Amino acid sequence: MGKLHIPEPEEALPGVELEDNQGLLQWISSVDHKQIGIMYLWMALFFMLLGGLGALLMRVQLAVPRNDLLSPEIYNQVFTMHGTTMIFLVATPAILGFSVYLSPLMIGANDMAFPRLNAFSFWIALCGGFLLYFSFLAGGAPDAGWFNYAPLNQRPYSPSPGIDYYCIGLLLAGSGTVATAVNLIVTVLKLRVPSMSLRELPVFVWMVLINSFLILAAFPSLNAALAMLLLDRQLQAHFFDIAGGGSSLLWQHLFWLFGHPEVYILILPAFGILSEVFQVFSRKPIFGYAFIVGSGMAIALLAFGVWIHHMFATGLGITVNGFFSASSLLIGIPTGVKIFSWLGTMWGGSLRFTTAMLFATAFLVEFTIGGLSGVSFAIVPIDWQLTDTYYVVAHLHYVFVGGSLFGLLAGLFYWFPKMSGKIIPEKQGKWFFWLFVIGFNMTFLIQHALGVLGMPRRVYTYPDLPNYTWMNMLSTAGAFIMGFSVLYLGFIIYKSIKSGKKAPDDPWNAYTLEWLTTSPPQLQNFKEVPPVKSFRPLRDLKQDNPNWQLQDDPWKID
Amino acid sequence: MILVLTHINTIFLSLSIFQPASSQADHIATLTNYFIVAAAFILLVVTGLLIYVILRFKAKPGDAEPRQVRRNKKVEAVMIGVPFLMVAGFFIYTINVMQEVHPPAGNQVPDVIVTGHQWWWEASYPGTGAVTANEIHLPVHKKVLLQFSSSDVIHDWWVPELGPKMDMMPGRKTHLWLTINEPGVYEGACSEFCGEQHAWMRIRVVAQRQDEYERWLQQKSQPAQEPQHPLALKGEAIFNLATCGNCHTIRGTAAQGQSGPDLTHFASRTEMLAGMMPTTEDNLRDWLTDPQQVKPGAHMPRFIFEQDSINALVAYISGLK
Amino acid sequence: MENRLMMFLVIGTEAIFFLSLIFAFVYFAFEPGYDNHTWQLLNIKSTGIFSVLLFASSFTFWRAEKSYKKGEVKRLKRWLFATIGLGTVFLFGQGREYWSLLHEDLTISKNNFGTSFYTLTGFHGLHVFIGLVILAIVLKLAAAGDFDEPDSSVINTVGIYWHFVDVVWLVVFTVVYVLPGVLL
Ligand code: HEA
Ligand code: HEA
Ligand code: HEC
Ligand code: CUA
Ligand SMILES: [Cu+2]
Repeated sequence: MGKLHIPEPEEALPGVELEDNQGLLQWISSVDHKQIGIMYLWMALFFMLLGGLGALLMRVQLAVPRNDLLSPEIYNQVFTMHGTTMIFLVATPAILGFSVYLSPLMIGANDMAFPRLNAFSFWIALCGGFLLYFSFLAGGAPDAGWFNYAPLNQRPYSPSPGIDYYCIGLLLAGSGTVATAVNLIVTVLKLRVPSMSLRELPVFVWMVLINSFLILAAFPSLNAALAMLLLDRQLQAHFFDIAGGGSSLLWQHLFWLFGHPEVYILILPAFGILSEVFQVFSRKPIFGYAFIVGSGMAIALLAFGVWIHHMFATGLGITVNGFFSASSLLIGIPTGVKIFSWLGTMWGGSLRFTTAMLFATAFLVEFTIGGLSGVSFAIVPIDWQLTDTYYVVAHLHYVFVGGSLFGLLAGLFYWFPKMSGKIIPEKQGKWFFWLFVIGFNMTFLIQHALGVLGMPRRVYTYPDLPNYTWMNMLSTAGAFIMGFSVLYLGFIIYKSIKSGKKAPDDPWNAYTLEWLTTSPPQLQNFKEVPPVKSFRPLRDLKQDNPNWQLQDDPWKID
Repeated sequence: MILVLTHINTIFLSLSIFQPASSQADHIATLTNYFIVAAAFILLVVTGLLIYVILRFKAKPGDAEPRQVRRNKKVEAVMIGVPFLMVAGFFIYTINVMQEVHPPAGNQVPDVIVTGHQWWWEASYPGTGAVTANEIHLPVHKKVLLQFSSSDVIHDWWVPELGPKMDMMPGRKTHLWLTINEPGVYEGACSEFCGEQHAWMRIRVVAQRQDEYERWLQQKSQPAQEPQHPLALKGEAIFNLATCGNCHTIRGTAAQGQSGPDLTHFASRTEMLAGMMPTTEDNLRDWLTDPQQVKPGAHMPRFIFEQDSINALVAYISGLK
Repeated sequence: MENRLMMFLVIGTEAIFFLSLIFAFVYFAFEPGYDNHTWQLLNIKSTGIFSVLLFASSFTFWRAEKSYKKGEVKRLKRWLFATIGLGTVFLFGQGREYWSLLHEDLTISKNNFGTSFYTLTGFHGLHVFIGLVILAIVLKLAAAGDFDEPDSSVINTVGIYWHFVDVVWLVVFTVVYVLPGVLL
C-alpha cells in the first residue's frame, strides 16, 4: 500500500477554539465538508416539510370543485412558494449536500478545495431561503409561479413585495450554488489521490463534476434575469414591462435558458447516486461505464439547446419549434442509454433488495413514465394540446419525485449508516418505501388524465365537469398518504440517530473509498489511501487482500 | 378487463383531447395515438425487462459473486439505434402535423380577433360591428382564422376538443386556424397563469352552421335593444349615472368603455364572468352588489347601491338580448 | 494552481452572465419600438479614449506580473499602482458619461435602450470597481512584504480577473457603441 500525504482539514474557522460537545456552535462554525453536507440535508428536509405543507394545502383546496377554503390570492402564493421551495430549497440543497459530503470521500481527499468558501456557500443559500419565506411577513409571498412570467411579475400586476424577495432570495441561493459548483470542480480536478485518473472516478463523482459545469453555465442567465427584474421593479427599467417597450418573451428566453438545465441539474447527481446503488446491490460493475459518463455529458450539452420547448405555444414559427423539437427528442436517447445500462447492470447480478435498492428499482419505472411524458411534449402538436395543464404537473412530479427524489432517497438509505454511524432497520425503511410509492402514484398518475380532460394547472378551483371531482379527490388522498409517509421518514431518521444500532464501517460490502473510513468518518477522512486501479478501488483492495475481513451484513437475504 | 377499458374509454370521450371536433384537433389526436402506442411499447420493454431481471437474478443465500460483465457492444448498439429510429420517425411526423395545423397567417384578414383581459375574453369580428365576450361563435366546415393578443398579461387560448393552444401576449399578435367539424358547444379555459382569477377565465365556443352563424353575426352587429319596461329604463339611467360606461360598452348608448366586457348583448350569453356561473338575474344581482365577493380580484369596483337601484340595473342589463 | 482554476471557472460563469445582458441589449435592438436616436446621444470619442486607458491597464498589469516573476517587488508596486490609476480614470470617465447622459434626460427608465445600456455598462463598471478593490488589497499586501518571494499565485489569479474585465469591455464597447452605428 502506497503511503501518501493528504492535507489535514481545518476543524473550524480560525479563532474559534472548539472543545468536544460544543453542540450547535460546532456546526455553525464548521468548515468540514461532512458537517456542511449534513447541514444541507437537514435544510432540504426542513424545507421539504414546508413545501409539502403547501402541497397539502393545495390538495385540500382542490379536493372538491368550487372550494373556497383558500382565497385565490393565498392559493397563488402557496403554489408559487411550493414550486420555488421544492426546486431551490429542497432538491438543490439535497443534491449539493450529497455532492459536498461524498465527493472528497470518494476521491480520497480530506476536505473540499476551499473549505471556508464551502461553509459560506451553505450559509448564504440558507439565508436566501429564509429571506424568501420572510416575504410572508413582509406583505405577501411571490405569487406569479415559480417561473414568474413577465409581465405578470411587474409592479402593476403584482404589487406586493413578494417578487422582490423572490429575486433577492434566489440571487443569494443561486450565488451559493455557483460557488459550491466552482469548489466541487476544483476539488475533483485537483484533490484526487494521484493514482486516480479521470477514468477511475466513481460514477457519482463524474455526475457531480458534469453537474457542476452545468450549474456554472446555467445560473448566470437566471441571475441576469433576476437582476433585470429587480431593476424593473425598483428603478422602473423596461426590460419586461410591455408598455415601456420591454418584452415578455425576453424573460422566457432567459429564464428557460436557465430553467431547463436546472431540471437536469436536479437529476444528474441522482443518476450518479443510482449508479452506485445499482452496482453495489447487483454485485457487478456498472454496465458501460463510458456510456454512462458519456451520456451524462451529452445530456448536459443538449440541456442548453432545448429551452424553447417550454415556449412552443408562444407562436415562434415552425422552423424554431422544429429545431427545438428535434433537440428535445434527442435528449431521450442518452437518457435511455442510462436506463438500459442500469438494467444491464442488474442483468446477471445477484440482486439484494435493500430499501436503497428498492427505491432505485422503482425509479426505473417512475422515471421512464415521467421521461416519456416529457417526450410527448417534445412532439410539438401534443404540447400545443397539453402545455400548462395538469399533464405537465404530472410530468414534472414524475421526474422530480419519481426521478430526483427517489434517487436521493436511495442515496439517503444507502449512505445513512456512513453519515450517522447508525442503522435504519430495513423493515421500517420498507414500510416507508411502500407508503411513499403508493401515495406518489395515487397522487400523480391520475393527473395525466386530468390534463387530458382539459384541466389547466395553477387554478385555485374548477367547475364540476364530468370526472373532475373523483380524480382530484383521489389525488388529494394520495397526497395525504405521501405526507404521512414523509412524517414517518422523519420519525425513523430521528429514532435511528437517537437509539439505532451502531453501523459497521462497510455494511453493504461496497466498492468506493468512503466505506474505507469509520462510520461516521473522523474529521480527517483518511490518513492513507491505497493506490487506485479502477472505479471500484475498495473492491480491488478486498480482492487483493484475501484476508480482508468482511463485517457481517446488518440485513439478511431472505 | 374489457369493462374497465370501455369505462376508461368513456371517460376520455367526455370533454377531452381524444374527442377531436376540428380537423386540426384530428391531426393532433392521431399523432397522439401513435405516440401512446410507441410510449406504451417502451414502457412495456422497460418494465418487462425489469420484472424479468428481478425474478431471475434476485440474490439467493450462498450466491457466488456474479460474472463481472462490463459492457456488450451489441446491446449498446440496440439501445441507441432503436430509440433513435423511433425519435426520427416522430420528428418527421411532428413537422408534418405542425405544417398542417399551424401554417403562417399571411395577410389574411382574421375572422375573429380575440383579446385576453384579466379575466375575460373579448371577441370582435372584423368587417362587422359585432363584439362579444367569453362566448365565441364560429361557423363549422370553414377554415377560420383567429387572431390573438392581450391587453395586460399573457393569457392562453385552449379549447381541448378544437385542438391547439395559443398564447396571447401583450404587444404581439399570434394566430390560430380552426376548421370545426360539428356544430356544438365546446368548453375551454385560459391556460397560462394570468393572476388571481386565472381559474375563472373559461371560454366557450359555439359552433354553428354557416347560415345560423351569419344570422347570429348580423344580430350581434346591431346596437342594443332600447329598454321598454320602466324599471329597465330606470336601470339605464343608473347605468349612465354610476359611470359603468367608463368601462363597459353598450352600443347605441353613451357607454363606450373599453376595459370591461361589452354588454350590448349580455343577456344572450348563457354564462357570465367567464364561465363562473350561468347568466341569471340572481347571479347578476349578487355580482352588482359586491363584485369582490363573487369573483375576488376582478377589476370591477364595488358600487354602493340601494336595493331597488340594483333591481333596476338587473332589469336593464338582463334585457340586453 | 487551485486558485487559478477557480478563477477561470469564475470568469467562465461571469462571461455567461454578461452574455445574457448583451443578449438583452441585442434583443431590444431588433424589437419594434427600438429607436436609434437615443444611441446617438452616446459620445463614442470620449468613451473610446477612456476605453483605451482601460485596455492600457491590462498592459500595465502584465508588466506588474512580469516584474513579480523576476522578483522586482518595487516595480511590481509601481505597475500595480499604474493599473489602479488607469482603472480609476476609466471609472471616472464612466461616471462623467452617465452624468452627461442623465442631463440629456436619458435615464434607466427612459426607454429600453436606456434600460439595457445602463444595466450592461453598470454591471461592467461594478466589476471594474471590484477589481480595483482587489488590486488595492494586493498593493497593500505587496507593500507589507507579502510578495517578496515570487512563488505566490495570487497576482497571477488577480490578473486573470483583470484581463477578463478588459475583454468584457472590448465586447461591450463594440456591441453598444460601435455596431449600432455600423449596422442600424
Ligand atoms: C428532473 C427534472 C426533469 C427531467 C429529467 C425532465 C425530462 C424531460 N422533459 Fe421535462 N420538465 C420538468 C422537469 C424535468 N423534465 C419540469 C419541472 C417541467 C415543467 C416546468 C414548469 O412549467 O413548471 C418540465 C416541462 C417539460 C416540457 C414543457 C412542457 C410544457 O410546459 O409545455 C417539455 C417539452 O418538451 C419537457 C420535455 C422533457 C424531455 C424531452 C425530457 C427528457 O429528458 C426525458 C428523457 C427520458 C426518457 C425518454 C425515458 C427513458 C428513455 C428510454 C426508456 C429510451 C427510449 C425512449 C425513446 C425512444 C424516446 N419537459
Ligand atoms: C422537487 C420538486 C417537487 C416535489 C418534491 C413536489 C411534491 C409535491 N407536489 Fe409539487 N410542484 C413542483 C415541484 C415539486 N412538488 C413544482 C416545480 C410545481 C410547479 C409550481 C408552479 O406552477 O409554479 C409543483 C406544483 C404542484 C401542484 C400544482 C399546483 C397548481 O398548478 O395549481 C400540485 C397539485 O397537486 C403539487 C402537489 C405536490 C404534492 C402533493 C407533493 C408531495 O410529494 C409532497 C409530499 C410531502 C409532504 C406532504 C410533506 C409532509 C409533511 C407534513 C405533512 C408535515 C408538515 C408539518 C410541519 C411543517 C411540521 N405540486
Ligand atoms: C373599472 C371598470 C369597471 C366599472 C366601472 C364597471 N365594471 Fe362591470 N366589469 C368590469 C370588468 C373588468 C368585468 C369582467 C370581470 C371578470 O369577468 O373578471 C366586468 C363585468 C361585468 C359584468 C359581467 C359581464 C360578463 O359578460 O360576464 C356586468 C353585467 C357588469 N360588469 C356590469 C357593470 C355595471 C352595471 C357597472 C356599473 C354599476 C359596472 N359593470 C361598472 C369592469 C368594470
Ligand atoms: Cu388568462 Cu389565465
Ligand atoms: Cu425543459
